[in-house]
Amino acid sequence: MAKEREIKRRIRSVGNTQKITRTMEMVATSKLKRATDRVRAARPYADALSDVVEGLYSPSLAEQFPVLRQPAEVQRVAVLLLCANRGFCGAFNANLIRETLRVIDRLEGDGVAVELHVAGKKGIAYFRFRGRELMTSDRGVGDQPTLEDAGRIADPLRERFEQGEIDAVHVVSAEFRTAMSTPPVTSQLLPLSGGQGRSAADAYILSPSSAAILGKTLPAYVRNRVYRALVENAAGEQGARRTAMKSATDNAGEMLETLTRTYNRARQAQITQEIAEIVGGAAALE
Amino acid sequence: MAESALSVRVVSPERTVFEGEARGVVAPAWDGLVGILRGHAPMITLLGAGQIVVHTGSAEQTFHVAGGLLKVEADQVTALTEYASEEPPPADVVARLRSENANLSDEGDS
Repeated sequence: MAKEREIKRRIRSVGNTQKITRTMEMVATSKLKRATDRVRAARPYADALSDVVEGLYSPSLAEQFPVLRQPAEVQRVAVLLLCANRGFCGAFNANLIRETLRVIDRLEGDGVAVELHVAGKKGIAYFRFRGRELMTSDRGVGDQPTLEDAGRIADPLRERFEQGEIDAVHVVSAEFRTAMSTPPVTSQLLPLSGGQGRSAADAYILSPSSAAILGKTLPAYVRNRVYRALVENAAGEQGARRTAMKSATDNAGEMLETLTRTYNRARQAQITQEIAEIVGGAAALE
Repeated sequence: MAESALSVRVVSPERTVFEGEARGVVAPAWDGLVGILRGHAPMITLLGAGQIVVHTGSAEQTFHVAGGLLKVEADQVTALTEYASEEPPPADVVARLRSENANLSDEGDS
């Protein structure tokens, strides 16, 4: 009897968990839809902007702009980790953190000083726990990252790069390939790789000078790179969460099936035993 | 279609605010308004704060923008701006942009 009741309790508890994971899956699905829309909506601006920047870029201009400087010797590098504020999204955060550790190891192996910047509570918590010092930590990025979020994270890094305090900025974030595939990638935010310098500048009327236009556009370009990374990250997080919650729901279903079977077997064994006892008792009376 | 031969896009990082055909565009460049019609020479200019007016045949559409740049090439007009909306931008953004643009000078290009 005791076993039956115990199994029944477990069935109820697994059932409740399944309800929760199923709800989380549905929430993630709807958020994922919106997040992918944002990823798509961010593309035209980014494409057009890099088109302009590449069009105006020329090696001689590069020397005027601190953002475009290519340090001959890399001594100090900033690594920026973008990860989620919340868990329950499978290995999403763990993958990003592992990639970050790999990047840090590689850089420090080359004798480069690394400073760590983290956006996202999960990454912050991990590195706090490991006792690693964080230069900056940002918890303010929500499910729908805004340009202000990107500016808040990117602008200080850009300024410090311009002043020569750091020689490069690497960003670790999730690439949103599909909802199922969101691998961590490391990309170099600064120095900007100047491209070929098509220098189509002659073909345009420029007002004001190309230097002035680049001066205003480059910061926006850097900001936009971070914005896109944030948006892709947000979509990746929801995708990973949906996948994780789907398999949790499936697993709970499987578990329920086995438990129900065990429960029925226990119940039948009980009944069989009772009948056997009754029959045995009746036989003894004759 | 010869009448409305400009294809116009107003794009912000978050979304494409406007995309369509137009007869003419008036945009707030950093140093004053510019008007663009069909056959305009290729141009890249910084935008200031103000309203982009897109003239489409009978009607016109207005968007508030602040900062960014405007590119004209082969009758394609693209406005890239970090602020684009039907609502006017906050006053401090406008003020900052005005003072920044006042410091720019049109020294031409080398």
